[in-house]
Amino acid sequence: MTVGSQVKTVLASLKNIEATLDILSQKTQDSEAKQVYQQTSQIIHEVKTDMHAQVQILQNEEPQYDT
Amino acid sequence: MPLWIEVILRSILLITILFFLTKWLGKKQLSQMNSFEFISGFVLASIAAIHSIDIRLPLIYGILAMFTWFFIPFVLKQLALKNKTVRDFIQGKSTVLIQNGKIMEDNLKKESYSTDDLLENLREKNIFHVADVEFALLEPFGRLSVLPKKENQPLTAKHAGITVAPMKEPQTVIMDGKMLLEPLANLSLNPDWLSTELEKMNVAIENVFLGQVDHDGQLTIDLYDDQLVVPESTEKELLLATIKKCQADLELFALATNNEHSKQVYSSNSKKLDKAIEVVTPYLK
Repeated sequence: MTVGSQVKTVLASLKNIEATLDILSQKTQDSEAKQVYQQTSQIIHEVKTDMHAQVQILQNEEPQYDT
Repeated sequence: MPLWIEVILRSILLITILFFLTKWLGKKQLSQMNSFEFISGFVLASIAAIHSIDIRLPLIYGILAMFTWFFIPFVLKQLALKNKTVRDFIQGKSTVLIQNGKIMEDNLKKESYSTDDLLENLREKNIFHVADVEFALLEPFGRLSVLPKKENQPLTAKHAGITVAPMKEPQTVIMDGKMLLEPLANLSLNPDWLSTELEKMNVAIENVFLGQVDHDGQLTIDLYDDQLVVPESTEKELLLATIKKCQADLELFALATNNEHSKQVYSSNSKKLDKAIEVVTPYLK
């Protein structure tokens, strides 16, 4: 696996995490838990944005692997 | 009227009266009653018993006696609710048997409580050593309440300094293979949601003996057929594992890359995830 595809895998996992956290925050009955899930989802979102930018950079660096 | 019919009719009437009288007297447990309440309850029952068998006695006397035996304890109970002095007089006060780890011998004697009684009641609370007790109180109804010394109290999350997620009561949504709509509504879920969850677990609702939903909306079920294995919900464990994996991956990237900018991006994000894991872990366990 190239670095590019590895980072892409992490990006996909992050998307999954964010979505699951959003579902949990919708389902929970407890306002405190809801807040924690949303807060975590927010952090994951920030990380996701950074990783997305990183994927762009890597794609420019390794165009030969980009399909 | 044949005598046997009279006996049946009397019994039915007295049972009905007795049922309502005991209902009005409240739902105190037998063990929580003081001796007066206990005895008046017995007298009520005996009056009912005597009058249902002995047809020579006029029924109205029996009913009158029952109401009197009901009324006086009832009034006393109401008075006791309103007034502390009356309450102390009627229900009695609690007696301190152990204070600051020392046995109060005078109080033991006053309650005619032998050392063996004390030891027996402590053992019932899983305390075999009197030195482990800070404070013990004999309640008016004869139960012993014990406060162990701090170091002998069970370890809680608070002592260990662990953060735990708050917990709400679970709701029972399936009983004996039938869906219960009210608890579902309390969780703002609908029957469609339940059928989807059951479909995910691949079970029919008729096979479910008991189903509960916890505060995070996870359904756990018990089936009639104990041979079948129910898939456990692993959503939260999986989520936590995935976050941890991402964090580890980012750390790895930060070490692997030679680009200063990328290194910085990776390590700062890995730190962010680390913080997120710390915050969310108690909720995902």
